[in-house]
Amino acid sequence: MLRSISATALALVAAQAAHAADFTWASNTDPQTMDPHAVNSAPVLGFLNNVYEGLVRRGKDMTIEPALATGWEPIGDGEGWRFILRQGVTFQDGSAFTAQDVLFSYERASSEEADTRSWFAPVSQVNVVDDFTIDIMTTAPNPIFPDSIANWMIMDSGWAEANDATRPDKDQGNFATLNANGTGAFRVTAREPGLRTVLEPFDGWWGTPEHNITRAEFTPIQNPATAVAALLSGDVDFINPVPIQDVARLKADPSVEVIQGIEARIIMLGFPHEADALKYSAETSDTNPFADVRVRRAVAHAINVPAILQTIMRGSAEPASQLVSAAMRGYTPSLSDRPAHDPDAARALLAEAGYPDGFSFGLKCPNDRYLNDEAVCQAITGMLAQVGIKATLDAMPVQNYWPELRADNYDMYLLGWSPGTFDAEHPIRFLAATPNEDAKLGSWNFGGYSNARVDELLPMIQSEIDDTKRQAMLDETARILQEEVAYVPLYVQPLVWGTKADIDLTQRPDDFFILRWVTVN
Amino acid sequence: MLAFVIQRVAQSALVLLIVGLVAFSMFRFVGDPIDNMLGQERTQADIERLRTTLGLDQPFPVQYYKFLANAAQGNFGVSYRQGRPVSDILMERAPATLELAAVSGFLAISIGIGLGVFTAIRRDGFAANAIMSISLIGVSLPTFLIGILLIYLFSVELGWLPSFGRGDTVQLGGWSTGFLTKSGLLALILPSITLGLYQMTLIMRLVRSEMLEVLRQDYIRFARARGLRERTVNFRHALKNTLVPVITVTGLQLGSIIAFAIITETVFQWPGVGLLFINAIQFVDIPVMAAYLMLISVMFVGINLIVDLLYFTIDPRLRVDRTKAH
Repeated sequence: MLRSISATALALVAAQAAHAADFTWASNTDPQTMDPHAVNSAPVLGFLNNVYEGLVRRGKDMTIEPALATGWEPIGDGEGWRFILRQGVTFQDGSAFTAQDVLFSYERASSEEADTRSWFAPVSQVNVVDDFTIDIMTTAPNPIFPDSIANWMIMDSGWAEANDATRPDKDQGNFATLNANGTGAFRVTAREPGLRTVLEPFDGWWGTPEHNITRAEFTPIQNPATAVAALLSGDVDFINPVPIQDVARLKADPSVEVIQGIEARIIMLGFPHEADALKYSAETSDTNPFADVRVRRAVAHAINVPAILQTIMRGSAEPASQLVSAAMRGYTPSLSDRPAHDPDAARALLAEAGYPDGFSFGLKCPNDRYLNDEAVCQAITGMLAQVGIKATLDAMPVQNYWPELRADNYDMYLLGWSPGTFDAEHPIRFLAATPNEDAKLGSWNFGGYSNARVDELLPMIQSEIDDTKRQAMLDETARILQEEVAYVPLYVQPLVWGTKADIDLTQRPDDFFILRWVTVN
Repeated sequence: MLAFVIQRVAQSALVLLIVGLVAFSMFRFVGDPIDNMLGQERTQADIERLRTTLGLDQPFPVQYYKFLANAAQGNFGVSYRQGRPVSDILMERAPATLELAAVSGFLAISIGIGLGVFTAIRRDGFAANAIMSISLIGVSLPTFLIGILLIYLFSVELGWLPSFGRGDTVQLGGWSTGFLTKSGLLALILPSITLGLYQMTLIMRLVRSEMLEVLRQDYIRFARARGLRERTVNFRHALKNTLVPVITVTGLQLGSIIAFAIITETVFQWPGVGLLFINAIQFVDIPVMAAYLMLISVMFVGINLIVDLLYFTIDPRLRVDRTKAH
């Protein structure tokens, strides 16, 4: 009996050893730092999700699940949230995880030096109740707070103090810029910025590994053609992203597999709601046609989104009707139809608005920010010309693009928005609320769209605990934005990954590559 | 002599200052680094504060002056993207570029001279004509395309050589070398061919035409008449006399090998300073761009200065002319 058990155990060990594998992957961006609080950007947070962990994390379907906290509940009538922490967790340097580390990470991540500061704007205080209980108090009831902190990663207070890294330092860098010490499934064993980062499984991880990786190496490869060649030649096991134009070719190759999905990012057109006149028009110098909702609706009807997706995105994106995609929390299913492609209706609306002969204007567009962004803008220019409004397209690199938008140098612009909280409230706060510097509202609402009811609903949405009531308010906001055509949502940006055929992995809509879901067969 | 040297050095310094000034005046057209440095949830106040902290709100001559003042003390600032001193980053990346340039230069010179001599001696042979025709590819195809073609042939189709990167490196003091590992040497092959191909064909064509010129000279005929072996005539007498212009051109091309490494490094994801510069442009990492441009211009100016000084010592006419002029 005993012998058979040990034989089984041996066989298991052997089987695992046979499956143990090296894994290499490449992406176009190197995470610029290993400090989880220094930079709030997807390449950094996505990478560090393999090394550090938060109180909560997102599962394969983006739902919130327990990580360093085993449970959480609202305190009183929404004064805050109580988190019960997981016991027996150790950091990769061996020190124990306690509530002190959570408090420290809150102070670090919400400090003036941290890029993640805005996540903690609703927090008034953090109280350590005991070693494994922590209360996070909020200034107002905040139903989505646990959803909003999935990327808030916990750092060991002792490690940070010993290495003089108690605050992130973006300007000069510090120990935490190049080194990491999380509680996650993988630890960083080598880090050469811009060159390679090596991860190895953390033996002391509290979870049960689903992967069979013994060593993983990440290399940034900027040039898309080189990345595709590296995948085809077997030098790397996985690349992200795959250029859209190479999808068909990779699909034809039996040794690789293309994994397609949609991202959280909505691509949309924005308008100068507040402007008195168009900036780049040949004939209308004293009016702003886009201030008229009929003109904005005409734009929505003029654009043939399915055609754009078929030709430019090669069928790998989905049309969008709202500022969030259907996969996000708070999406409104009843408003899922986008305005039909109807050039006649568009012309009629323009005539009704007093522009039977159309007008000319300037369309601003980035050319290196979103997938095929410039090609999309060219297609839009052509479609708008068919209904009589003539856009002059000005496409530029994104580093020049944002300053232009901030300076109001556009008559129409292309924007992509990915809600950091995966909730419909996020774009309302940033894109639809009347810009207000002090209240930190509408900071990406370049056109100055303003609607009193939306401004009234936003704080109510933010503090409503009851899900049904909250959804009703989100629905109302979505309806207002759709009726007023505050923006013209076009499509959800596609997500295209490429792997070798013997790799199993999970693609998440936030474009985070989670190593602990990878199996090499 | 001393006056000449001082004058040349002063001219070089002036060129450097002007290059820097032009570079700084261009940086604002590359874009605004602030949006890259702050996340999606930044406010206008954050933007203004960071702009002031970085000194980007000041006019470019002021920014340039501050850069020079710091650079004079060996401080090239901190990379916006990596948050580490630029001098550290450049030191990390320089070995990759210099090793690649050295191998490319060696290939270009040795193969270029060899083929040049061959095609000159067998000027009407089939092989020589074939080489001459093929060499047109090296001159006319862009580096980018050659690199991609080599990757597809040798990495994707044949699977012989790595498609990107530098392989394993060995750390010798502060220098990381790829010469000591098998994967490091294999990784050098495609990028060094890509980078050196243009120079190779250039040197080959130069050597060939010089050789053809020299082979017509009387002293070659006399050497042949004296019954010297063909080998001795070709290499001792002819090749030696073609080398003067070849050395001049090669010296000047050395700088461009390092500067043009940008494209090769991007295609092969070669972790050198050229790739660093491309990344810096995408991110508007001004300290890295400034340091790289200054480094490259120091190198070019330095090479030209040395060439000037060499001419001065080699060519007596220069000296005579100058004494007359004074």
